[in-house]
Amino acid sequence: MALVIRKPTFDILSAAKWMIRKDCRALSSLVEKTEETEKRPVGRRARFQNPALEYRHIFPEFLPDPNPKWRNSLREKMERADMLKRRSQIDIPEFYVGSVLAVTISDPHAQGKTNRFVGICIERKGCGLRAEFTLRNVVDHQGVEIRYDLYDPTIQSIQVLRLEKRLDDKLFYLRDALPEYSTFPFDMDPEILPEGTPVPVNTVQVKLKPRPWLERWERQELKGVANIEEHLKEKDRIRRELRKTPWEKYDLMKEYRKTIPVEDQTEIWGEVHNQLNQLRLSRKKMFKKRPISTPKPQLG
Amino acid sequence: MNQAQVTKLVSKLRIKVAPEPRRLRNPKGPEGRLNKLRKTVTGLIKFERIELNFNRADEARQYAERLISEAIAHGDCHKPTMEIADYWLLEKELIHKLFKVLVPRYENCNTAFTKMYRAPRPLYSRNIEKAVLELRGNPYPSLINKQYSNRQLIQNVLLDAAKYDYRQAKYAEMADKIGKTENQQLNNLTKKDEITPENKEEQIPLST
Repeated sequence: MALVIRKPTFDILSAAKWMIRKDCRALSSLVEKTEETEKRPVGRRARFQNPALEYRHIFPEFLPDPNPKWRNSLREKMERADMLKRRSQIDIPEFYVGSVLAVTISDPHAQGKTNRFVGICIERKGCGLRAEFTLRNVVDHQGVEIRYDLYDPTIQSIQVLRLEKRLDDKLFYLRDALPEYSTFPFDMDPEILPEGTPVPVNTVQVKLKPRPWLERWERQELKGVANIEEHLKEKDRIRRELRKTPWEKYDLMKEYRKTIPVEDQTEIWGEVHNQLNQLRLSRKKMFKKRPISTPKPQLG
Repeated sequence: MNQAQVTKLVSKLRIKVAPEPRRLRNPKGPEGRLNKLRKTVTGLIKFERIELNFNRADEARQYAERLISEAIAHGDCHKPTMEIADYWLLEKELIHKLFKVLVPRYENCNTAFTKMYRAPRPLYSRNIEKAVLELRGNPYPSLINKQYSNRQLIQNVLLDAAKYDYRQAKYAEMADKIGKTENQQLNNLTKKDEITPENKEEQIPLST
């Protein structure tokens, strides 16, 4: 008899336990999950936690073109070697779209045979030795854009005057914005960030000039534009709705075809990571040495 | 002249990926194409083995592989991954299956998560290539017959029976032969016994 009674009570107890546990999980689901994530990543996410992978933001041109028709492992390897050689000759600093740069190139027709241009980087494009960037400035009320090849041998120096990022990947909308947003004085002093700080993101939102525009900015989901709605008509809003492609962010293969997978990246960064690090360290040393040598007072 | 996008890290697929996506023709355009593939991916995760047209199977396979690899890489606490799973799996209980069954199954897998075979086509029909798409480690019996050494296989059972019959027949024949020869020898012996007295008479003088 005792056994018979004990069994159902035990069952009830266990059922109650199960219920309680279930309730607890529903309440503290977040806490439990975080614990699990802390345990898990050891084997599974080790590939994603390689510190060398962070170089992909600083030197995106070291990654090859993701289009498999244009891939050639030998050419890519030789290009990387050439890029490192060029980097050992001149200092190509870390910069992003939205940073303000000063570029000096040798120009046989200019006075002093050099030409210096200051502007905001509105685009970075291309990979390997063909990497390029575009600077924009407004000179004498006239917008000027110059496209430089990053590894052009005629470039004498690239200096970062203001290191920052913007909200968008490409700043072409500056062409239709008020000129004050892309005007930078040529005698700008370089702003030096304290060491170890992350690159600041400039959250300024530009104001566009009234239409006509060069592109349909309203369809591009830009974060760095403030007054886009003022210039739109009802027709434009309707067409923007029709043209939206909300499914594209779920298109996993489209995303895959535009990137280089982690396994390939680790291989590439493993190849160049040491030399890039050495170059950076040597530049840092040079930079630390520089302020000690004060300019000599010119004697009349 | 494109730079690789670096904001998101993806793990490499273990299957061959064509340089350009296939156009699965659809009146709704790219959205309709994805809707088609969503149905197929949901079916694949649900049934673990499906038979369909080759083009669609190949496209859906890539998306299924990406979905599983994302789930393995980021786990179920990553919000964007959860949204992707929510989009791709039309039946919501399959999201649990993806993270609780498939992720542990493929976590330490070194090969592709899916398998695709070319399926036979019916004779005298439209010439559409067919394929069978399946998840690795599914509970169904294997499609490829690699069990030629399995004794329980019907062919092997029949062959064994045939061999046994043949051997039995041979033994019977041999036994017959042996029986015949013995009979003959016996006969010979009996004949010799009949002849021996004469021989003895003949031989004795020779030996002496």
